[in-house]
Amino acid sequence: MRTRVDAKFKHELNKFGAEDWSHCFHCGNCTASCPLSENAALFPRKSLRSIQLGLKDKIISNPEPWLCYYCGDCSEKCPQGANPAELMKTLRRYLISVYDWTGLSRIFYTKHWFEIMVLLVFGIIVGISLSIFNPNAIVYELNAAGGVKINEMFPVATIHLGDLIMAAFVSFFLISNILHMWYRVLLKPKISVPVYLYFTELFSLVYQFVSQSKFSKCDANGRKYWASHWLLMSGYTIMFVLVVVFLPFFQTETIYAWYEPQRLLGYYSTFGILFGLIYFSIGRIKKTTEKFKFSHLADWLFIILLFLTILTGILVHFFRIYGLVEFTYYMYILHLAILVPMICIEVPFSKWSHLAYRPIAIYLFNLKKKAENRSYETNPELAVN
Amino acid sequence: MEDIKIGVYVCWCGTNIAKMVDVEDVSKEMKKRPNVILAKDYKYMCSDPGQDMIIQDIKAHQLNRIVVAACSPRMHELTFRKALENAGLNPYMFEMVNIREQVSWVHTNRQEATRKAKALIAGAINRVRWHSSLDKRSVSINPSTMVIGGGISGISAALKIANAGIEVFLIEKEKELGGMLKHIDLSFPHFQNVQEIIQSKKQLVSDNPLIKVFTSCEIEDVFGYVGNFEAKIKCNNDSNTLKFGSIIVATGLKTFDPSPLSNYGYGRLKNVITSLEFEQKLKQGEILTEEGEEPRHIAFIHCVGSRSTENHSYCSRVCCMTALKQAKQAKMVVPEAMVYNLYADMRSVGKNCEEFYAKSFNQDHMFLMFNHQKALPKIMAANESDNCNLIIEVDELLSHEDLEVPADLVVLMVAMEAHEEAKNISHAVGISMCGNDFYIERHPKLDPFSTTTAGVYIVGSCQAPKDIPDSVAQANAAAARILATIIKGSAEVEVTTAEVNEELCCGCQTCVNVCPYTAIVYDADKNVSVVNEILCKGCGTCGSACPNGAIKSHHFTDQQILSQIEGLMQMSFELEEEIL
Repeated sequence: MRTRVDAKFKHELNKFGAEDWSHCFHCGNCTASCPLSENAALFPRKSLRSIQLGLKDKIISNPEPWLCYYCGDCSEKCPQGANPAELMKTLRRYLISVYDWTGLSRIFYTKHWFEIMVLLVFGIIVGISLSIFNPNAIVYELNAAGGVKINEMFPVATIHLGDLIMAAFVSFFLISNILHMWYRVLLKPKISVPVYLYFTELFSLVYQFVSQSKFSKCDANGRKYWASHWLLMSGYTIMFVLVVVFLPFFQTETIYAWYEPQRLLGYYSTFGILFGLIYFSIGRIKKTTEKFKFSHLADWLFIILLFLTILTGILVHFFRIYGLVEFTYYMYILHLAILVPMICIEVPFSKWSHLAYRPIAIYLFNLKKKAENRSYETNPELAVN
Repeated sequence: MEDIKIGVYVCWCGTNIAKMVDVEDVSKEMKKRPNVILAKDYKYMCSDPGQDMIIQDIKAHQLNRIVVAACSPRMHELTFRKALENAGLNPYMFEMVNIREQVSWVHTNRQEATRKAKALIAGAINRVRWHSSLDKRSVSINPSTMVIGGGISGISAALKIANAGIEVFLIEKEKELGGMLKHIDLSFPHFQNVQEIIQSKKQLVSDNPLIKVFTSCEIEDVFGYVGNFEAKIKCNNDSNTLKFGSIIVATGLKTFDPSPLSNYGYGRLKNVITSLEFEQKLKQGEILTEEGEEPRHIAFIHCVGSRSTENHSYCSRVCCMTALKQAKQAKMVVPEAMVYNLYADMRSVGKNCEEFYAKSFNQDHMFLMFNHQKALPKIMAANESDNCNLIIEVDELLSHEDLEVPADLVVLMVAMEAHEEAKNISHAVGISMCGNDFYIERHPKLDPFSTTTAGVYIVGSCQAPKDIPDSVAQANAAAARILATIIKGSAEVEVTTAEVNEELCCGCQTCVNVCPYTAIVYDADKNVSVVNEILCKGCGTCGSACPNGAIKSHHFTDQQILSQIEGLMQMSFELEEEIL
């Protein structure tokens, strides 16, 4: 069954990372230099070829872009300056918009003003709900320890409920999108996977998610990048769990000692996230390595929103402890007005979704590889397709 | 017989010979041979001091025969013959033995190699005793030149020669001069207007009174030899006889007809055309399908008729660049069209051509690679639902996928072939063709525009596929060679020719029939064969064919050859006895 070439397809990708890959003449240096590419997954040249030929079905069912961790070696080696590293990133953005059955991702990635507008409007709605429609007024009295009575202004139970609704919303879309991804990668191409493999490969899924060891295989800066990313990820995860699951434990009027878990965990998270953010920001501004050279709006939004969330969170924390009532009140509203849109939009529909897609992609790829039961190492010619 | 005094020189050739042949031992051994006055070995015989040594020795010892054992005679036979001349000896009193290519470079056992060298030189020593003086022979040169073919090569050569004040006869088969360039719109890689170029050249030709142009003319026959040719040409119904001294053959090319290739469907499917036909559309400034519409998809398929075992094995050299040029022009004429380049390899040779290729990479130009030896693309008529005229099926190599390419117009980059008249011209003029019907050059690297027929030169695509700059360069080179010959005023011809002993000849004419150069004629009055010494190349075929032994091949007489064999065998036996 022959596939028709489609010259127009690559124009669709321009919005996801405006690069012109027509200069690639397929010398293969990129794939040869990629430390993560293997016989069962030869990238990035194959993906680049699919784009040049407009083989949309092949691109949509291919999990390989998620196996790339953007060390940038391929772009450094490319004799034509065709920038295959950015291609893989563009494909990741594109695939995010494909897996999202709502179509919102696509609009967010291609129409920048729309995403910013939605975030703003959403933020304003949250802000208004918490202030004007808040049945609880500002409480100027301080508690016994001298801290602000935050749970009277913003009752934990209500906020916790809100958090759980937000988590459910995000989970619903993430999970449905993951199922869509599974459909695209395994079901539609009719790759049959024995059920037992779904269980045996789970271990590596969890291990990859937690350790992110593939980062360190990438490039000379691998260790540094892996450490920064791991700090950010672990910080974010701990904070997310504290806020969504343990909010009553975390949002407390008691002022505990700094080494108590409520504060210590919070400080670790804050440190981890800030460290990562600063490392990435400096990299993107100074364009120090290949992976930092090209920034899409989604990359900066991620950094800016998260940074603002952390900043407002730090301020809320200290204002509360030092009894600055009005500052606490308004900063808390601002904190949520940033945090809620960020989580609701960025996690299921934008860059954040990589937290799910990447480990799942590795998982699905391993299933595919084992199911096809081919020995790519001894029969490399099987690898070409 | 005079007192034979032979000087033998064995060359080390640096380490080329010395590493495998014990040259000192060889020269010592050769000193013992009869008639050898001296035998020396030296590092580089061909060098100035080496040659001087021969000259000094000839004068000092009154040597009258020289043997040099060194590299191939093709390298330095002329060098040493000149040295003999400088010393006052006839250059043919010399024999060269090849102990490099024939001994040192092909053997691995030093003792065996040394013995073989000794045997070969002993043979040469025997032979050279029977050498006789041969005088040089030259013929006068008629400066007029005939150029066969009025394309860019022929015109360039004609102009160069005429500008030096020499009369040129420019013979062209078509009604108009210009050759293949008449059909080209713009050239690669700089997009120069070819029509303007060819028009200005034609103007220069017609302005030059020394160039006599004969259009709509064919060559009937050519007689003679270098410096003294005569030709009969037929123009419409008039015949002309021309006399000239040199010939430039510039018959040019024609394009391959892709009809036999069923996978492309040329002639059977609509909208499948050749690159030449597409060039006509570009000249008209309009690209339309057979249905009169602008194509949305234009595909170029490379290597049609080239690089194939069934058609032509060679690469036609210019088609890759032509395809890139035509693709770029297509985008200029039909900006919305999508262009596809189906190639086997991309060969962008020539100045600025790679840069032109690099600039072809853009979003609306798709490159697809196929295997020209295993799987050629296949063109089929499309269905209604396909939304295009044709579908090209290609097993694409860079993606390893079986793909379909939509096309409204397909351009086949057809091979370059020798002109259909080339064979007739080769017979008329007396030059050879290779299996691909291109003329054979004298030396593929060092003399690609001469032939083994003195006075006849081949320029342009008739020698091998090439582009305009190389054709012009070749034409100018041939013109320069001819002008040099004219300045010299005479041309040397071969002296090691055959001679018929009229007393022994019985008039059987066997030699006339076997001579590949038609250099022997039968004299009916005397009932003997007579060799034309100018045409004779000294191949020796007649001498071996003659049943009466009436033909003597100068410098290859029976006596010389037999004594060489004797010397070689004698030395071999002596050396074998030594081993035993």
